[in-house]
Amino acid sequence: MPELSYREAVRDALSQAMRQDDDVFILGEDIAEMGGSMGVTQGMLDEFGPERVRNTPISEMAIVGAGIGAAMQGMRPVVEVMYEDFTTLAMEQIVNQAAKHRYMSGGQLKVPLTIRTQGGAGWSPGAQHAQQLEAWFVHVPGLKVVFASTPSDVRGLLWSSIYDDNPVMFFEHRTLYGIKEDVPEELEPIPLGQARIHREGEDVTVVATGRLVHEAIAAAGEAEAEGVSVEVVDPRTLLPLDEATIVDSVKKTNRCVVAHEAVTRMGFGAEVAAIVQHQAFDYLDAPIERVGSRFVPIPFAPVMEEWVVPHSNDVLAAIRQTVGRSESSNGAGHVE
Amino acid sequence: MSSDVKLPRLGQGMESGTIVKWLKNEGEPVEKGEPLYELDTDKVTQEVEAEASGVLLRIAIREGEVEVGRTIAVIGEAGEDVPSDAGDSDAGDSQETEEAGPTPPATETADDGAEQSAEKPAEAPAREAERRRGREASTEGVSVEPPAEQRAVVESGNGATQGGARIKASPLARRIARERGIDLASLGGTGPEGRIVAEDVERAAAAPAARVTATAPSAVEIRELSSVRRTIARRLTEAWQAPAFQLTISVDMSAAGDLLATIREVEPEVRPTMTDILARLSAAALMRHRDVNAQFADDAIHVFPTANIGIAVAAPNGLVVPVLPECERKTVAEIAAARADVVERARAGKLQHADFEDGTFTISNLGMYGVEQFIAVLNPPQAAILAVGAIEDRVVVKDGEIVARPTMTLTLTCDHRAVDGASGADFLRTLGRFVESPGLAL
Repeated sequence: MPELSYREAVRDALSQAMRQDDDVFILGEDIAEMGGSMGVTQGMLDEFGPERVRNTPISEMAIVGAGIGAAMQGMRPVVEVMYEDFTTLAMEQIVNQAAKHRYMSGGQLKVPLTIRTQGGAGWSPGAQHAQQLEAWFVHVPGLKVVFASTPSDVRGLLWSSIYDDNPVMFFEHRTLYGIKEDVPEELEPIPLGQARIHREGEDVTVVATGRLVHEAIAAAGEAEAEGVSVEVVDPRTLLPLDEATIVDSVKKTNRCVVAHEAVTRMGFGAEVAAIVQHQAFDYLDAPIERVGSRFVPIPFAPVMEEWVVPHSNDVLAAIRQTVGRSESSNGAGHVE
Repeated sequence: MSSDVKLPRLGQGMESGTIVKWLKNEGEPVEKGEPLYELDTDKVTQEVEAEASGVLLRIAIREGEVEVGRTIAVIGEAGEDVPSDAGDSDAGDSQETEEAGPTPPATETADDGAEQSAEKPAEAPAREAERRRGREASTEGVSVEPPAEQRAVVESGNGATQGGARIKASPLARRIARERGIDLASLGGTGPEGRIVAEDVERAAAAPAARVTATAPSAVEIRELSSVRRTIARRLTEAWQAPAFQLTISVDMSAAGDLLATIREVEPEVRPTMTDILARLSAAALMRHRDVNAQFADDAIHVFPTANIGIAVAAPNGLVVPVLPECERKTVAEIAAARADVVERARAGKLQHADFEDGTFTISNLGMYGVEQFIAVLNPPQAAILAVGAIEDRVVVKDGEIVARPTMTLTLTCDHRAVDGASGADFLRTLGRFVESPGLAL
């Protein structure tokens, strides 16, 4: 099996789709000659030419709007919004247009648009380039939301997103572009709405997304040394959500931690906690713990940034809390 | 500060006892003097009282035989941390805090315990703040009322462990408790802030469940042996191994009957019975035939200076034989008062170990059931036991005349290792004379 980086896996999915299907094309800021600010689309201009690898003006609203128009005309565009912080500029197009047309046209129109974007802290991008805003889009009916955490997942999920007839918000994490994983020789599409159990365990379920999947796996290893068996579940698709896998896991372990880099308040973890308490209430043996960033803008200074965003030790603290081994309930600040 | 509950030495020669059951659960408050557990010794099953007040933090030994002096439980303050091995070690060194393996909660280090107990006093105001937040939240349309079922738990349970406040338990723990019919108020929580977690309920559920015996599908009712029953079986099997013989006489009860009537007139409040008179007269006879007031002790025969007479009593759970000490020094009225006291307590299951100590001779009276005569099994280690039949009018020859006289048959069973036939007969003849002419006992 070939080993791909997360960045290469995204590029591989885009390239394979574009080779297979003329309707697929990409557009975004600096994606052509420059190959994108994160280097994801490097080399694609040479292979597919400027008609299918299109540089755009610096207007997220225009980029997404163009993608919506093309999608409604039968194309399968993949637009890149350089930072998810900048989706704010395209909210009208995403929320009021992309998410609504299929419904408002009674199914006569469809919007098979994929909006790739990336974000996240960990490399000092500052308060306007480090946010994790995926939860906003989970709030909007008509959208699908994907947050992939590994190379094989990002490849298979991007493929499924491109070929989904609904607009998909596709989140990548900046610090994951370099991680590597063995991927199948043949691209295997991963259905949207199917969680991945990274690690099976008996005592606590950690539902983690994005970078925190890796932090959770590390924390699970440390917890195991303390005699606590942790199951790590990555939903991969936030909308639609594989509730059954999460709930079944919690019914088995009786304890649940949700972990993401976004702030906990109104975060995706709050939704998971609500689902779990409702569907597995009688199975819970401890309050559900949430792990996320402190509720402040992400600082530029590396030391402060490090302090604000959660790491594996915060996940471990939450795990300990659920099994009643924590020294104090309010130590870390990442755990709610 | 916690104190260890150690297995007491209830009587001389007691080396061990068998814990039958605990009358308090872990986490329950205990008052000094309250019955704490049932203890079975070779003499009696009795309730043992708590020697300290507090909360029963830990039961180290749930049931089974335990040697005297071993720590069987710990009583302390609510929330106090107890080392998991308390009581598992030998007597006297129960304060080790060794942590063995991944045994979950409640077994943190001493630091943690201090922190927990330090947090305790703050609980009430913290709860108030929580309620206030709850009230604010509910004005925003968010209900913070606990579900009806949880309120019911709070209202039905006395909530003793939490001082009347809401019982903290996880939803899973509540479900398991509901399914198995366990009262959460009876449990102690080992989760954060004393929350009852599933493990606590399962531990509580496991304890009694182990004692349940499946009922056979046939019509045969299978009754588990009570500890009293078990003791009776063991001791009487033991008695059966002694070489025993029986001697029987019948005695004219006219004088004894008159005497009983007179004493009842004089001492109406104690209401003496014929058994009391027999106890007094047996004591007098034993003082004159002390080789019957004896025990066979393997390499020696112990002969006792006082007649401590055991009275067989049919208690609800089975036969018990409390002892009336020094009957040779007591009046019939005194014996009657002492006998009434032990019989009443025997029927209520309140006899203490001391009530069974130092018996030297036993009287078993089945006369009230109309039994003419019977043979009693020895009450080891005593050398003799007197079986008393009913007083009934029998036809006897008196001075050449056939007359009806109130007559009673006495059967003495003797341990032949201690008492020979002649000595037993000698004693019985004296006793018979005393019964027919009580004045001779003076």
